[in-house]
Amino acid sequence: MTTDHPLVHRYVSAFEEALTAAAPVDRADIVAEIRQHIADAQAAGRPLDDVLHALGPVDALARAYALELAISPRSAPRAPRGGRWLRILGLVALVSLPSFIVLTVLGTIGVSFTLSGLAVLIAGLADASGTLPAWIRNDIGPAAAIATGVGLMVAGLLSGWGALAYARVLTRLVRRVLPPRPGRP
Amino acid sequence: MAPLDINDWTSQLRRGVLELCILQILRDETSYGYEIVTTLKRLGPLAAGENTVYPLLRRLKADGVLETFLRESPAGPPRQYYRLTADGRRRLSALGKEWTAMTDAVARCIKGERP
Repeated sequence: MTTDHPLVHRYVSAFEEALTAAAPVDRADIVAEIRQHIADAQAAGRPLDDVLHALGPVDALARAYALELAISPRSAPRAPRGGRWLRILGLVALVSLPSFIVLTVLGTIGVSFTLSGLAVLIAGLADASGTLPAWIRNDIGPAAAIATGVGLMVAGLLSGWGALAYARVLTRLVRRVLPPRPGRP
Repeated sequence: MAPLDINDWTSQLRRGVLELCILQILRDETSYGYEIVTTLKRLGPLAAGENTVYPLLRRLKADGVLETFLRESPAGPPRQYYRLTADGRRRLSALGKEWTAMTDAVARCIKGERP
């Protein structure tokens, strides 16, 4: 393989070392990319000397990375460790209680109303077709039972949908407050 | 004070537009480092050294406008490809508008228009 060429090896190793001092994120990926560039350029027929010359001295290349990544707004220490924990704490303090209440209430209403609505609806349908078991008493008549069942189910489903929508909003909020760290896929 | 060399001027100008051109190159298709470098080289005045383009690609990734992914290559280890993120598309359209407004203004200025 072309990367085994001693000149390439020396260049890439020296670059890796220089980059360690510059210490940007994605170091392994950057080194792999430069190695790949040398291989690609050679495969395209460019003499190795030219390729390495165009890349320039390893220190300058490493410095160019350090400069670019230092002016990057996201790789700048925007969220230092302490700040990150503080924000997690703030987020928990701020949204945990309302989330607990909203999700519990909406979730309970969603599940219980949907299920009981379904039961009342089935009972109403059974009553309408005369197959209602004797141990169930329907005081409001089949039509009212069917309507009540449908109403309960609609309320339950709406409530469940509300819980899901709230969860989505919450996820977005968490992502905004705690963006994924740079340099991680 | 030394007068600003024309090459310095060109390279400063290029620095600013390089980001726009890289985003544009990646608008419709994914690509990898060497291909992006050679595409820019074929565009003459935009030809920036690889020691400019590669670090810039990493910054655009750190900014969240590009992302990398690995794809098998016919020879050798898997290759790192770049693609635009949703943020990158928004940025591209914003930069494109800026650029059009800028070149319009410069063209009118050079023509001697003084509104």
